[in-house]
Amino acid sequence: MNPFVRRSHLQISVLNQEEVLSSWKHKADAIVLDITDGAGLAARQQARELVRGSIAPASKGGGEVLVRISKEALFADVKAALWPGVKGIICPSLETAADVRELDEALLEAEKEHGIPRGSTEVLVLLDSGKGIWNVREIIAASSRLSTVGLEESSLYRHMEIMPDASFDPLVYAKGRIIVEAVAAKVHPIGVAHPYGIMPGFDNPQEIHRLALRGKNMGFKGAICLHPSWVEPCNRAYAPAADQIDYFKTVRATFAEAVARGTAATPYPGTTQMIDVPVDERARIMLELWEMVQSREADKASALSKAAE
Amino acid sequence: MAIREVRRAGLTMPINNPRFVNNSWLRNCDHITLDFEDSVPQSQKPYARIIAREAVGLAGQGGAAINIRINQGFIEADVTAASWPGLSSLSMGHTWSADEVRLMDQYITRIERIRGLRPGSITLGAACDSPVGTVQSEEIVQASPRVKNFGGGGGYDYSMQLGVDMFVGFDQFVYPRGEGALIARAFGKSFGISVHLPDTSGSVADAERSYLQAAANRKAGGRGGGGLHPNVVEPMIRGLTPPPEEVEQARQVLAFYNEQVEAKGEAEGELDGLTVDKYEAARASELIEWAQACAEMDGKKERARREAIARQEAAHTSPGQPTTA
Repeated sequence: MNPFVRRSHLQISVLNQEEVLSSWKHKADAIVLDITDGAGLAARQQARELVRGSIAPASKGGGEVLVRISKEALFADVKAALWPGVKGIICPSLETAADVRELDEALLEAEKEHGIPRGSTEVLVLLDSGKGIWNVREIIAASSRLSTVGLEESSLYRHMEIMPDASFDPLVYAKGRIIVEAVAAKVHPIGVAHPYGIMPGFDNPQEIHRLALRGKNMGFKGAICLHPSWVEPCNRAYAPAADQIDYFKTVRATFAEAVARGTAATPYPGTTQMIDVPVDERARIMLELWEMVQSREADKASALSKAAE
Repeated sequence: MAIREVRRAGLTMPINNPRFVNNSWLRNCDHITLDFEDSVPQSQKPYARIIAREAVGLAGQGGAAINIRINQGFIEADVTAASWPGLSSLSMGHTWSADEVRLMDQYITRIERIRGLRPGSITLGAACDSPVGTVQSEEIVQASPRVKNFGGGGGYDYSMQLGVDMFVGFDQFVYPRGEGALIARAFGKSFGISVHLPDTSGSVADAERSYLQAAANRKAGGRGGGGLHPNVVEPMIRGLTPPPEEVEQARQVLAFYNEQVEAKGEAEGELDGLTVDKYEAARASELIEWAQACAEMDGKKERARREAIARQEAAHTSPGQPTTA
């Protein structure tokens, strides 16, 4: 999959049309229309019916539109969710490659029915069982649509009979496993650092940013935002910081000078920190990511100004 | 428990830097890695291959085991250029697949035959320093019987691949290091254990931190270490060598177990508040063996250095510019 920037996935219930209509204003990289939020069959049916009309308002700010469905009602949900303008489907609870293939099949049917290019819809998987985490490699490999993998921590805690406790993270192994497997397969791992994956707070932007930044430094590339207050801190955390840019440029320049002198290991000016190929390569990647982020922000700003007219 | 070879402290250096290589044997390293790879620019790699044979001789004068780190993209050329008498091992940074390891093995086997080296004498180190390497590590570790050292799961390359900042003050590599350590143990290989100690400076020359890191690693089962700056060699050796009081205590534990527990048909006994059973006795035994191996390595290095200096004096050269061994 080609590199992409998707730091914030703002999740809102499609049943809450007031939120849907204002969702574009929050500058999220993606808006997740959740059709699984209501209780009972009637609410689910209503949610399915609301998806198509929610896509245009949700995307007004330049955010990509994703729809969250459930595995239990896979075919019906996909059929209701997939319309032109929907970039991808978020599906929790997949546990095997066969589950992914079933989703793939449902997507092929819906793409054909709704005139969407075959195979263009992304799949974002949220794992919520020990079996799913153990099988993450086969799940990721099961479809070229799969772009993103994360944990659905609240379900996972229930599945593993863990009592939430802010003082320690019982999912260190699970998070490490999905991050490493995802990055190895060039898929985005998403998540935040403990405890906001299981005990989220909404009114402290500094803490949201701190835990998102920690998540980024674990290897996550973005997060599901359960409230608009998460969007700005997540957009900031999952991108190179503005004050790192000069550092990366200095790394590149210093390393290039060293190579010209015949060595590929040299100290960063004024320190005993070492610059060699991986340090230079990381600086190159971060500067490229910075450019991609700037481009993404420019696209959203343009969409926002058009929507405001 | 089988005692591993003694490689408590090593330095990695670009093989094309004569200042580093000429003085490397005076640094008291247990092992030295001469780098063909990331610290050598592309334009210098052919030259690096040409000087490898002499560099192996120079660096090995102090009794250290000599390793050459080769390039993933030039396996045949690098193995051929590096495999000379005096070389202990070859390693490949960025080991991504079992096929790469098998290829190294094939070329080494051929070169050993051509150059009359003892078959199987050159061992391999695999560094799974990327998520792809971690995912492939179970196959990589089994790819060749030459694979002796197995590492990765952190550091500059892993951070670059994961897209994370380094030196952020928490352990970012619990999973890959845990996987690597378990797979290494499962297949009887050594693994570069590195306990997480918060580090926000990124300095490669911090002697005190190196000692604390090495001491913590030893308590977690680590026996090996390496670095980039001569400052860290002595602290790493000190941190990974059992101090005399621990060795003495281990001797007492072992004697107590042999004379007061096992000889009397008991499963366990108590010595100064410590429960001594067969596991505690085995731990004491391993510690004593490790301390002996460290002392033997220190003696070997001391003798090697004396002999090299004597050779230089005989040739009327200065210690900083040794003759080829």
